[in-house]
Amino acid sequence: MRRRPIIVLACVLIGSATASAQPAETGALTPPLSPRNASYTITARLDPATRTITGSEVITWRNITTKPATDLQFHLYWNAWKNTRSTFMRERALGSTGPGPAGDDAHRRADEWAHIDVTALKVGGSDLTGLKRFIAPDDDNPDDETVMAIPLAQPIGAGVAVTIDIRWTAHVPRTFARTGAIGDFFFIAQWFPKLGVLQDDGWNCHQFHAATEFFADFGVYDVSLTVPSGWPVGATGVRRERVDHHDRTSTHRYYQEDVHDFAWTTSPDYLERTARFEHPTLPPVEMRLLLQPEHAGQADRHFDATRTALQYYGEWYGAYPYGHITIVDPAYQSGAGGMEYPTLFTAGTRWLAPPRVTTPEGVTVHEAGHQFWYGIVATNEFEHAWMDEGFNTFSTARAVAQVYDPNYLALRYFGGFIPWVFGDIALRRETEGNRLAGYRRDAKSDAQSTPTFRYFPATGGSITYNKTALWLNTMERWLGWPTLQRIMSAYFEEWKFRHPKPDDYFEVVNAVTGRDLGWYFDQVYRSSNVFDYGVQDLKSARDGDHYRTSVIVRRYGEAIFPVDVAVTFRNRDRVVEHWDGNDRWKLYSYDRPSQAVAAQVDPDRVLLLDVDYTNNSNTLEPKGGAAATKWSLKWMVWLQDCLLSCVALV
Amino acid sequence: MSAWPEGMRRVNRAPAILLGVWALTLLVSLPLAAVLRGMLAQHLGRSLAADTAASGVNYDWMQEFSDQAAGLGVTFKPTIIGFGAVLDNLSAFMDNVHRPAVIVGAASLYILLWIFVAGGIIDRYARDRATHAYGFFASSGVFFFRFLRLAVVQWIVYAFLFGSMHPWLFDRLYPRMIHDTSVERTAFLARVALYLVFGLLVAAATMIFDYAKVRAVVEDRRSMIGAVTGAVGFIQRNYAAAVSLFLANFALFVIVVGLYALIAPGAGRTGASMWIGFVVGQLYVIGRLWVKLVFWASETALFQNRLAHAGYVARPEPTWPDSPAADAI
Repeated sequence: MRRRPIIVLACVLIGSATASAQPAETGALTPPLSPRNASYTITARLDPATRTITGSEVITWRNITTKPATDLQFHLYWNAWKNTRSTFMRERALGSTGPGPAGDDAHRRADEWAHIDVTALKVGGSDLTGLKRFIAPDDDNPDDETVMAIPLAQPIGAGVAVTIDIRWTAHVPRTFARTGAIGDFFFIAQWFPKLGVLQDDGWNCHQFHAATEFFADFGVYDVSLTVPSGWPVGATGVRRERVDHHDRTSTHRYYQEDVHDFAWTTSPDYLERTARFEHPTLPPVEMRLLLQPEHAGQADRHFDATRTALQYYGEWYGAYPYGHITIVDPAYQSGAGGMEYPTLFTAGTRWLAPPRVTTPEGVTVHEAGHQFWYGIVATNEFEHAWMDEGFNTFSTARAVAQVYDPNYLALRYFGGFIPWVFGDIALRRETEGNRLAGYRRDAKSDAQSTPTFRYFPATGGSITYNKTALWLNTMERWLGWPTLQRIMSAYFEEWKFRHPKPDDYFEVVNAVTGRDLGWYFDQVYRSSNVFDYGVQDLKSARDGDHYRTSVIVRRYGEAIFPVDVAVTFRNRDRVVEHWDGNDRWKLYSYDRPSQAVAAQVDPDRVLLLDVDYTNNSNTLEPKGGAAATKWSLKWMVWLQDCLLSCVALV
Repeated sequence: MSAWPEGMRRVNRAPAILLGVWALTLLVSLPLAAVLRGMLAQHLGRSLAADTAASGVNYDWMQEFSDQAAGLGVTFKPTIIGFGAVLDNLSAFMDNVHRPAVIVGAASLYILLWIFVAGGIIDRYARDRATHAYGFFASSGVFFFRFLRLAVVQWIVYAFLFGSMHPWLFDRLYPRMIHDTSVERTAFLARVALYLVFGLLVAAATMIFDYAKVRAVVEDRRSMIGAVTGAVGFIQRNYAAAVSLFLANFALFVIVVGLYALIAPGAGRTGASMWIGFVVGQLYVIGRLWVKLVFWASETALFQNRLAHAGYVARPEPTWPDSPAADAI
């Protein structure tokens, strides 16, 4: 453990060299980048008419822990959408306003729900189908069937490999959690019986939860998909062959090494576009876009946004090694947008997508960015979702700011169809990009160190995405981007194709900075306390031929962070104090020839987690009245227009 | 269609009415704006955040304010800026978005005031000559309670349209229509179709109630049910003219809104630009009010044109008796 700083620094130095592993147009990567201990060979057939998938798979699994496995545990994610009694659906209802199931769930037709049934299971040739049982390790919910356990008569020892044959059938739902179908559009993810991750302390195989995503080991995926002929297919990996059958179906075989999941999509409506990412120091990437016809004019926007992610994430963290990426523009109402899978992601746009607004760019950069934070650095999203979603939200905002600045607020009217761009409101990376407003509303809902699947479902996203982005950007403003960039690239280099935990990241931070920043993570990670510093009072009155100035600054929140306090005087002198931020309040006094005009805590807004920045300053020349007048007059026109709409009925 | 320019002429010849209803609008909106101003000023306090809020948009501050706002304050959102305000209200109207109670209260008061002045306004346009303040308010007073009774009927109809028909169209039918739609344009067209259906129903109701008021004033009707049936009869007999006139007036509305879309001021600064922006906003409000009055005036003109004597008003022009004290002198 003590050698870690050396390892980290070495990784930083050699990072650019190792990052350029061979891109492959065949899905093969040599030498292997990951342990490849859970590889899947899958054959599946989609019947669009009945929305049924019939599949079989051969899993080659190697126990890479130090202990024998006495059972096998599989995710059967689609059983989360079997009925309203699953843990997923119960948690989803927690976030809804009504007493029953969330949203449209109550009105779903019977054929719009899903299920996955394992019909046969052999381990090492022995038929263990009859031994399968459902377990609920997270909440003991007897109605949850998303984790299947198979006890083993013969434990699988450390380092031993085993072959598992499984046959199953599944019904494709109307979309849940970005998976399902609408019309002829199919997006199929989390769709096959999938092993959990065996760790030294046992299986890490959580039930499917409403607010969390996934976790799996790396492997090789060789997947043959049979769909109607003429229907384009997009999938993880590279298509190696297509065989057309007499029954008007075609089998597409996709192959990819060193990934930990496999998703695919098909629809007869897709337009296909291709482009290439090229960069002086990063490996080229072939980009394939499956686009909805009504978005035909937005192909370049999707490609440019993907290039933005590949370029900046590549320059900042490390190279994208796969050599190809598939961008899926999902169908309207499919609910499949904005999701990441290895070498494939779903974007999300609208029919009316005005320029100067980051739709579709924002979501495209974000999901493409997940290839790095999730795809390559494969954290446990059940327990530490912030490690990919938060890191990626921060990175997205930073990348978007490089290319799409300024971009503006757009609101949508008339059922959400008609956008209107507010050219007065340029969105800032630090606040809107990192989603400060969302964090502020939910700041105390959970400590970030709580396992993600135990976050309150309705507010978990704010802690996962927004809080992380804000504390990372705070680190950037506090330590400087060069330092944070070294931290992130060192962490990426050390943990790519592995499963890091929070302490692994914190150790990299300490190693790169040469400081123990545990106190910072105590504030932002291990606590739900909020930051709120402010100026309580500013007085500056003549006392003889001097002005006596007093500034009282206060810590209103429970969380602690060192902040600057700046006092500006009428003669333009500016005094900057450094306050450790520990005490509840602090007094600064000055006897100076000039009167003070303003005092401000954290004038450079380093601490982006401060939930009330308005109270951070105090001036003796306030413009609050003038600003309030201006805005109330604006509002009055809105009110008058509202009244006129009402009186149209008189 | 001669009623259309005739209506505009009658409105233009009575600028006091236009100014009066604008004053009514100010009367209701100014106090609430003052309340909101107090909220904003209190939240800004002596913060430097006010500097950027004064010189442009401080979106961070707006969001902080929104997060702690209650009552009136929750309506202070970016959508109030420029033409966004109009889109917000039109969209809320068509999508039946509920407003906070304080806004509903203000709107109710505003509607009540309009019900009070409606008789005076239509009487003025029907006579097409100055009725002066006493004539105006006498007519307002005479028709106030009649129009209140009519308002009960209107309330029932609009409650049905917005309380039952709209939810049926947009919360039940629309989701069914687009349930399997995977193309956004198709869904949008479906929604536009439902907007048209709902808009036509609202327009039909509005047109009937407009002519009910016109007939009540011109014919001095006391029965509002009778006025409504009379209005329906009139529209049936003069379907093409009534609908054409309504569409022409609606086109005026579109023109006024379109013009405002072109010139609507953005956030602006404090000082002169703030007041210029406010004046532009008020010109838009006056434009909308003018359109509203043209609706009534042109419909009055159309109805009178169909009578044997154009310009006919059954009720004698009110005159004030001299006071006994004056006689004694």
